[in-house]
Amino acid sequence: MLIFVLRRLVQAVFTIFGVMLLTFLLFRVIAGDISARYVNQKLGQEARIAWLERHRMDLPMVVNPDAPWQVWRRDFWNTQFFWHLRESATFESRSFKTEQRLLDIIAQKARFSLSLTVPAMAMGWALALLIASLVAYFRGTWLDHVVTFVAVLGMCIPYLAYMIGVQWLMFQIRPTAAWGLRHHFNIYLPVAISVIAGVGASVRFYRTVILDETNRDYVRTALAKGVPLPGVLFKHVLRNCMLPILTSVVTAIPFLIMGSLLLEQFFGIPGLGPLLLSSISDRDIPIVTGLTFLTAALYTLLLLLTDILYAVFDPRIRLR
Amino acid sequence: MAANVDTTVARPAKAGRSLWADARRRLVRDKPAMVCLVIILVYAAVAIASPHLFPNWADSYDYDDINRAPSAAHPLGTDEFGRSVLQKTLLGATTSMTVGLMANVIAVPLGMVLGAIAGYYGGWLDDAIVWLYTTLASIPGIIRLIAIKFAFQDTVLFARTPFEMDLGRGMSGVYLALGVMSWVGTCRLVRAETMKTRELDYVLAARAVGTRGIVILFRHVIPNVLHIGIIQFSLGFVGAITAEVILSYLGLGVGAGVPSWGSMIDAARMDLVVGRWWEIASAVGAIFFIVLAMNLFGDRLRDALDPRLRTA
Repeated sequence: MLIFVLRRLVQAVFTIFGVMLLTFLLFRVIAGDISARYVNQKLGQEARIAWLERHRMDLPMVVNPDAPWQVWRRDFWNTQFFWHLRESATFESRSFKTEQRLLDIIAQKARFSLSLTVPAMAMGWALALLIASLVAYFRGTWLDHVVTFVAVLGMCIPYLAYMIGVQWLMFQIRPTAAWGLRHHFNIYLPVAISVIAGVGASVRFYRTVILDETNRDYVRTALAKGVPLPGVLFKHVLRNCMLPILTSVVTAIPFLIMGSLLLEQFFGIPGLGPLLLSSISDRDIPIVTGLTFLTAALYTLLLLLTDILYAVFDPRIRLR
Repeated sequence: MAANVDTTVARPAKAGRSLWADARRRLVRDKPAMVCLVIILVYAAVAIASPHLFPNWADSYDYDDINRAPSAAHPLGTDEFGRSVLQKTLLGATTSMTVGLMANVIAVPLGMVLGAIAGYYGGWLDDAIVWLYTTLASIPGIIRLIAIKFAFQDTVLFARTPFEMDLGRGMSGVYLALGVMSWVGTCRLVRAETMKTRELDYVLAARAVGTRGIVILFRHVIPNVLHIGIIQFSLGFVGAITAEVILSYLGLGVGAGVPSWGSMIDAARMDLVVGRWWEIASAVGAIFFIVLAMNLFGDRLRDALDPRLRTA
């Protein structure tokens, strides 16, 4: 057990390091020198150098030529790569545009994202599970066929179409609720869209998971010895289905922080999604780097946590 | 002539069918799958033909006819520059199908080869490849795409040659980003399947007669996991089309001059309120049918090619 946890822990550390490496490559090495966008040329070379220095972009990339392999010297660690690692882990980097600390920005914006995505995800999950259990219970009947068919149709409508369509409907009913966050009421609309747009795919996935489980031997045994069908479904089957379903829920959690990028952008909710998009058009590299790393790190840690919890609750997992 | 063949050629009473023949037979008998296949082929034909049919669409401005509702002259109305929305939608198929095809032409072989290598050789190669894909997979999909598009915003590959690829504004940037970022699923499945295949007797036999590892990998192992690649291709196609729409909507997709369903939805998002529904309806309709057909066909294909996965 301990060995399993340790092994997963080491894996997670490697993954997080990989993400740091990847963001460094993408945003520092490939994106190149972007000082021209933030320092007016007329201020002269001195201003440019000062700006580069402030954002530590004048340092050597990975290996400091002054101290190539002398790990014990301070200079060895004084390169862009090691500062990148440090800033990634602490979210200390500052925005190019506003000079604000990333941690402050996240603290300020995350609550808007969370207020949209937490209810959306909880409701979507509960609704999908309810429909999927019902459908699995009535499998093979017209209800099953109709719901599955509607779920497939719902999956095929692009997300953007849901947003535009539902917003248009809302605009007909109550125009002030269609955009922005002026009233608390305005949060219902994006939440509803998020639930409606996601429920099709989830119902289909959960239904498959539940039906896979109902074909197992223990279900036949329970039925054969006379346990009523609802008892089997809700006591045995649903409990065993929770594993894949919980994985799908947990791995969606980073999106909670990031918010539904598209929804926030579309409805003018000042969360982290629009921040990422505007940072991209502004080439505000510390913000893009930080937000990418934040989602990846959260994802990795949550996955680690679920794996460990599974191993605690289901001894079969450790054998794999 | 064809009738004679059966009588003259002596065949064993019950010829064994290969996986492929068996899958083809199942698919041909499956009416919904065939309907979907026809829809996909129609889209492919439109994608190939429309640039030749409407080569001048992009410059066909008509300022006397802007934002007109559907009529006999313009069956799907006109856009904000007076250009035909019908032609725009048909040209959008070229963008979507190219992106879908190219993204998977890059992603699926990449995933298959890496997955097979990881699964077959194991050891540090396996560790390295698994590390690579867990790292990539830990960044959520859309952010992964945005990140790579962002990084390569100003990159132009093969500049000043006939093969010039503008990764910032061109279509190539979109499918390269999608291709490089979406091989993880294929890799994971192929790796797991290869690990099972590696232990089978025929691989042992090949190893026993002294076949080199690389030959076993490409001649014996990969053909036996190929069906995963084909299934992933058809499912990845849907993902690529949807991703292109979202990227174009965010302004990170194909450039403004290229007709695409995503930029049509983006252009029309404020139009619905003033009653101009035709542009967004055509784009959504076009996406809806190809995604539906591809989804259903992918499912049927998986059932036909991988009998173990068949759902009740």
